[in-house]
Amino acid sequence: MAAPVSAVGHRVARSVALVGALARFLVETIWAARWVPRAGRRVATKVLFKQVWFTALQAIPLVIILAAILSFLVISQATRELGRLGATELLGRLMVVVIVRELGPLLTALAVAGRSGTAIAAELATNKVMGELNALRAMGIDPLHYHVLPRLGATILSVFGLIVVFDLVAIFSGLMAATMAGMTSARYFEIVLASLTFHDVLLTAIKGLIFGVIVGVIPCFRGLSISGRPTEVPIAASQAVVTSIIAIFVCSGLFVVLLA
Amino acid sequence: MTPPLLAFEDVPVPGGGARVTLEVPPHQAVLVLGSEASGVDALPSFALALSSPAAGRVLLFGEEIARLPYRSLLAFRRRVGYLPAGDGLLQNLTLRDNVALPLRYGSDLSEREIKGRIGIMLAQCGIADAADLRPADATDEVRRRAALARALAFDPQLVILGDPFDGLTVRAAAHLLDVARGGETGEGARRAVFMTGQQVPTRLESRIESRYRIAQGELQTGT
Repeated sequence: MAAPVSAVGHRVARSVALVGALARFLVETIWAARWVPRAGRRVATKVLFKQVWFTALQAIPLVIILAAILSFLVISQATRELGRLGATELLGRLMVVVIVRELGPLLTALAVAGRSGTAIAAELATNKVMGELNALRAMGIDPLHYHVLPRLGATILSVFGLIVVFDLVAIFSGLMAATMAGMTSARYFEIVLASLTFHDVLLTAIKGLIFGVIVGVIPCFRGLSISGRPTEVPIAASQAVVTSIIAIFVCSGLFVVLLA
Repeated sequence: MTPPLLAFEDVPVPGGGARVTLEVPPHQAVLVLGSEASGVDALPSFALALSSPAAGRVLLFGEEIARLPYRSLLAFRRRVGYLPAGDGLLQNLTLRDNVALPLRYGSDLSEREIKGRIGIMLAQCGIADAADLRPADATDEVRRRAALARALAFDPQLVILGDPFDGLTVRAAAHLLDVARGGETGEGARRAVFMTGQQVPTRLESRIESRYRIAQGELQTGT
C-alpha cells in the first residue's frame, strides 16, 4: 500500500524539483545577460540570427499547412452548423477565440517544440559530450552567453512571429471556407473584426512570449543537464520535447483559468 | 627568482591517489605523464578551475584561480591558451571561425585585424589550406592544429595542452610543440607550456625541461 503512494510522492517531488531547477536556470540566464562583453554581443547576435533561420523561417511552410487546414476544417463545419441555427455572427468569435487566441499559439508552440526544441537539446547535449562547453569556458566564454541567451531570444522571436503567420493564414483560410459556404468576404471580415478585441491581441502576444520562453529554456536546460555520456543525447532530446509539451499545455490551461 | 606561472600545491588527482606539487616557470615546458587511470587528465582542468580538486591549491599567475568570482574567472582564463584533450572545437563552425571565436568574443579588435591575425595563426599551425573545413571533415591532426591555433589566439604567456600528441606522427608532434612554445628568446622559449598525457615521443623529451610521471599513487620526478 505504501509503495504506490511513495512512488507518486517521489514523482511529484521530482516534478517540483524540475520546475525549481528550470526557474533557477531561467533567472541565471536572464541575469547573465547583464554582462555579456561588448564584442561577445556581436557573436551572440550572429548565433541568434542563425537560430531564427532554423526555428522560424524554415518552419513557416509547416505552420502555413497547419493553420490553413485547421482553419478551413473548423470554419467550413462551423459555417454550415451555425447557418442552420441562424447564428453565423458567432463565426467571428469562434475564429478569434478558438483559432487566433487559443489554437494558434498552442499549435505553433507545439510545432516549434517538436521541430526545434529537440534539435536544440540534442545540439547542446552533443556539445557537452564533445567537450565544447568546457573549451568555451576555458576561452573565457560563458555557455549561457554563447548558447542559451541567443537561443532563448531566437525562440521568443520565432514563436511570436510564427503565431502571427499562423493567425493570418488561419483568417484567410477561414475566409476561403466561409465564401465556399456562401458567405461574402465583406460579411466574413465584418464579423471577424468585430469579434477581435484588444484583450485577444494582448493575450495572444503574451502567450507568444511565454511559449517562446518555454520552447527556448527547457531544451537548453535539458541539453546542458546531461552528465556527458553520448547515450544521454537522445534522452535529453526526448525529455526536452515531452517537458516542453507538458509545460505548454499547463500554461495554456492557466491562461484560460486566469486570464480568459 | 621569477614566480611560476602555474603551481599545483599538494593537489590530489582523482583515482590515482597521488598528490601533485609542481611549478611551471616562465619559458619552460613541463610534462606530466600517466595512464588513463592515474587521473593525470584532471590537471589541466584544475589549472583553469574548470573543476576543483578535493584539496590543495592551484595558483595561476600567482592567483588562486578557484577563488575568483565567476565573471573575473572567465576574463582571467583568456590569459591562458588551452588545448583540451579531444580538441573541443565547435562542430558547427569552420576551423577558421573556431580560431577566430576567442578574438571575436573577447577582444575589441576589428574584423579586419582579427582576419589578419587568424591568417598568421593558421599559417603557423600549417592549416591555412584546410581553414574552411568543419571539424568533422578534417583529420585528427588538422583538428589538433586548429585547436592549438585557437589556444594561441590571444598570444598567451602560458599554454596548457591536454594529451596533445596522442595519435600524431613524431614530426607533427614536434611541430605542434614548437608552435606552442612560440620560438626562442634570450631566456628560453617565448611561452611556458604545461602538458599532460599518456605518452610523449622520445625525440621530444629533450625539448621538455621538466618531466613527471604519476605512477603507483605518487608523482615521480624526471621520468
